[in-house]
Amino acid sequence: MDVQETKTACRDAFAELASPACIHDPYPFMRWLREHDPVHRAASGLFLLSRHADIYWALTATGDAFRGPAPGELARYFPRAATSLSLNLMASTIAMKDPPTHTRLRRLISRDFTMRQIDNLRPSIARIVAARLDGMAPALERGEAVDLHREFALALPMLVFAELFGLPQDDMFGLAAGIGAIVEGLSPHASDPQLAAADAGSARVQAYFGDLIQRKRTDPRHDIVSMLVGAHDDDADTLSDAELISMLWGMLLGGFTTTAAAIDHAVLAMLAYPEQRHWLQGDAVEVKAFVEEVLRRDAPVLFSATPRIAQRDIELGGVVIPKNADVRVLIAAGNRDPDGFADPDRFDPARFYGTNPGMSTDGKIMLSFGHGIHFCPGAQLARMQLAESLPRIQARFPTLALAEQPTREPSAFLRTFLALPVRLNAQAGG
Amino acid sequence: MRVVVDQDLCGTTGQCVLTLPGTFRQREPDGVAEVCAATVPQALLAAVRLAASQCPVAAIRVISDAGDDERASADAAPSPAEPERHAAKDQRNPEGHDGTV
Repeated sequence: MDVQETKTACRDAFAELASPACIHDPYPFMRWLREHDPVHRAASGLFLLSRHADIYWALTATGDAFRGPAPGELARYFPRAATSLSLNLMASTIAMKDPPTHTRLRRLISRDFTMRQIDNLRPSIARIVAARLDGMAPALERGEAVDLHREFALALPMLVFAELFGLPQDDMFGLAAGIGAIVEGLSPHASDPQLAAADAGSARVQAYFGDLIQRKRTDPRHDIVSMLVGAHDDDADTLSDAELISMLWGMLLGGFTTTAAAIDHAVLAMLAYPEQRHWLQGDAVEVKAFVEEVLRRDAPVLFSATPRIAQRDIELGGVVIPKNADVRVLIAAGNRDPDGFADPDRFDPARFYGTNPGMSTDGKIMLSFGHGIHFCPGAQLARMQLAESLPRIQARFPTLALAEQPTREPSAFLRTFLALPVRLNAQAGG
Repeated sequence: MRVVVDQDLCGTTGQCVLTLPGTFRQREPDGVAEVCAATVPQALLAAVRLAASQCPVAAIRVISDAGDDERASADAAPSPAEPERHAAKDQRNPEGHDGTV
């Protein structure tokens, strides 16, 4: 922080977030940015908001003061879109659409995916959790280190996703292997080789989903892909082929690296703050408080990957964001804004005890799932996976400890992991 | 008090259902929120107001028995006007489609 303290301005916060220091720990820089340059204009012209109130407002005003890019102006916001499959797929996803197109697509996702139906998944999630923990137990009990990220945190959402989408598990593991590269290529400052790697991965995913759609068309089952294929076939205007593929691609990308990172962060919080573990031994309200605090303190998505384009000149904190500027929100900084959450670096589940999901006792919104029209459609599914996992991990492996420091994915905008090696302590509580 | 959901605006996130399952529910199969009963007990006023303020797309409107109409504002001025934002009454869509059943 010494260097940053002396800066009067940061030239490009996106580049700074990609630096090794920020990959290791982005929060000192985010704090500096929020305090000194909260409406940051990067050298590239992108804006980055880092205060809780501003982010909350921008998310709420999306579809109104902000819009997604129109098809004709894609090249303006994504100069490499003409040659990039990944950027074209992203442009077709629901996250880049405005009403009424957005509303139409969103209703298709929410079809057969209500809170009640997500709740119906709870028993199968609990079963997968128990099976994965059983699978890790022999090696741990022999005193070996196990990579909890790969064996549990990533495996759980992948298996849940496979079940929801009606994919064979082996196919799911095959698809998942390419996702990290795709996600990284979508970062605004991805290099050309990173984008090329993303496009190669996207081409494989596109081909796979093309085949899958055909299979579900001839042999529909009770899964999301069959349901979306049915919606498409009932009324071709409702969902085009391109929309269907990009929707599946988007759900695949958004679906489980983020959930995995939240589980990883939750386990790290259990290990770092044993005095807070009692929340996981309590009832559902207490478990929920722990889960929400993990999501707040360690947002898996640091900043928004999709552009919010100013519909007009917008003045924010004395800075004018000109019409047509691309505005991103630094969600992780907003979640650590002391004006949103007192003593924000402290891990304190009590802030979310007995509150509505995603709202603190002070009535502030936890930003990790976004807000406004693009609020994460998988939020409740992710929360359920966390709530079903953490108490079981604690009960099954009460002496769990880090075997080595976790390895983070070298990403500027996702706070995700490559490995989280754990072992059991020989002595309880040791 | 009466509670209405603007069903054209509803983002189908289900947040209101998670918050107040006895007051809100999601329509099958499209997940659009609706109110379980036309009138809501006054004892739930604070809870319903909180749910309305938390709706990601500000689609919930609370009409108290006194007849004033509240809706969490979606587009008032950004910070530092947050307190005013919560106090603001949004009159953008007074004729909006409502989801009272």
